[in-house]
Amino acid sequence: MTRPILSKSLYWSDAAVKALSFIALGTGVSFLLLMIVFVLRESSLGSGFGMNLYDFLVRQPWAPMATPPSHGIFHAWISTLVVTALSLGLAIPLGVGIGLFLSEVAPRWVQQVMQPALELLAGIPAVVYGFFGYVTLVRNFETWFDMPAGECLLIAGLILAVMVLPFVASTSAEAFRSVAQDLREMAYGLGVTQLYVMRRVLFRKALPGLFAAVALGLARALGETLAVLMLAGNTVAVPHSLLDRGQPLTALMATELGETVVHSAKYQALFASGFILLIVVLGINVMIWILKHRFMERSHA
Amino acid sequence: MHDTAVLSPSANVKGSETYRRSVLRDRLWRATLWFCGFIGFLLPVSIIGYLVVEGIHCVSWRFLVDYPKGTPLGTQGGIWPAVEGSLALASIGLLVAFPLALGGGLYLAEYGRSQRFNKIVRFLVECLAAVPSIIYGLFGYAFLVVFLKFGISLIAGGLVLALIMFPILLIATQESLRSVDDAYREMGLSLGVTRFYLVRRVLLRKAWRGIVAGIVLAVGHAVGSAAPVLFTASIYFSKGGLGLDRPVMTLPTHLYNLVSEAISFDQAFGTALVLIAGLLLFNASAMLLRRLGGGSPQ
Repeated sequence: MTRPILSKSLYWSDAAVKALSFIALGTGVSFLLLMIVFVLRESSLGSGFGMNLYDFLVRQPWAPMATPPSHGIFHAWISTLVVTALSLGLAIPLGVGIGLFLSEVAPRWVQQVMQPALELLAGIPAVVYGFFGYVTLVRNFETWFDMPAGECLLIAGLILAVMVLPFVASTSAEAFRSVAQDLREMAYGLGVTQLYVMRRVLFRKALPGLFAAVALGLARALGETLAVLMLAGNTVAVPHSLLDRGQPLTALMATELGETVVHSAKYQALFASGFILLIVVLGINVMIWILKHRFMERSHA
Repeated sequence: MHDTAVLSPSANVKGSETYRRSVLRDRLWRATLWFCGFIGFLLPVSIIGYLVVEGIHCVSWRFLVDYPKGTPLGTQGGIWPAVEGSLALASIGLLVAFPLALGGGLYLAEYGRSQRFNKIVRFLVECLAAVPSIIYGLFGYAFLVVFLKFGISLIAGGLVLALIMFPILLIATQESLRSVDDAYREMGLSLGVTRFYLVRRVLLRKAWRGIVAGIVLAVGHAVGSAAPVLFTASIYFSKGGLGLDRPVMTLPTHLYNLVSEAISFDQAFGTALVLIAGLLLFNASAMLLRRLGGGSPQ
């Protein structure tokens, strides 16, 4: 450090601020590590886990009250998969469409209305979505489909689609916007239609960004709790159709944790499901990160 | 590939079959995109509109300041303990998370010299932001409630919310500091002041709007999430009154209980409306602050 002008006390106070801010950073970030380690520890997946992973994931049913109790999460991850696939199947086409609309078609004033509207959608809490789905869809499904209770995977997927929509839409709008303007102008200069430019130029160039949008939506959908807890029906049977009730992983944890004896086999099973979910979501995040960096490097080149 | 308008000069003549077809396709496509945009606009407006129309008659002054009453509990009375609990949880979370996030953002934006270190740490922070809220709930339950023996309490829930707010606040701080023009830094440092003086007197004055917007977003997010406080802080019923070692009611968990136990949908509509009205006010102010400049990029 060169410090001819600074007095000693000033220099040291600056160094202290630097050290303090470093400590603050370290404290906050270390909780990620602590969380991973602690959830793993509570699950006893590393050692002393009551069953093997194949039994846990596929073979065993979730029957904690049976003798002997069994804690398989097959029904839960199947439900998670179904609900997530359904929600992304709806949210991705619509979200990418909205992204394309915002970046290419919409006039300025429409963009200025849409942006806050999407932020509004993203700002509604999950529990309110769950409630909204309950009073609108669940009640009507009971009459439309003649169901004894309206909750089912289809409704959970529909509401989840609305929840991840703003994230997919704004991320893909960003991806389309970051395609170089020159390319657009060049293509239009050749006299092709807007559809052609979108399909052949924008989609190709924005592809990594679109993947990031999909991955972001996926991570959101996998981890969403309250809405699926309220809408999917919360039964431990393995679902066979979209109109069946189910219990996604997150709903399983939210339902069972409150009434579980600490460090029991069930408690371990819940934390094991949590750990699996955590690792999957973090893996998706790594993917987003890689895509984003590749994307940024390419658009700068 | 007959969807291209450019084939050969002769095929691209106005009025030719190819030309007409591609123009038609183009119009159809544009109409589809307008439709997508329309749905994107319709969804939030209709959801909020529905909740306002159905919920407005359930909200009154009494509803806001009274505690839940009736049998089963919650069919009458109000939601004051839940409002109070949510606000207390968010305040504790902010009080804990903000200094850490401010320091962390400051370090990444101003002090950290190694690009590589900054990148990796920023990635870890983004991971923290991506962790599903139920996992925060699990961790909070196992670590704070059981391991550290806090019990289901205001302090345990507040700390979990702090953990959720930390990455949002840090990213907001870092980004709004980074968006301050480098010329200010060079000018300041060339005058021989310390980094901290520069941060305090110049950079934070330029960046505070973005930071405040981040605070509002983080608090809004924390107030609305039920999963993390479900096992760490929330209780079914309380008459109000706060204590760090005592559990509280919160708005989202109260709404969840009202619906899942089918207690009272009128009360649920009122609770939902109070919750989103509060959050919208928060978010609107964040948007306004960003609109006013401050932390905006460029």
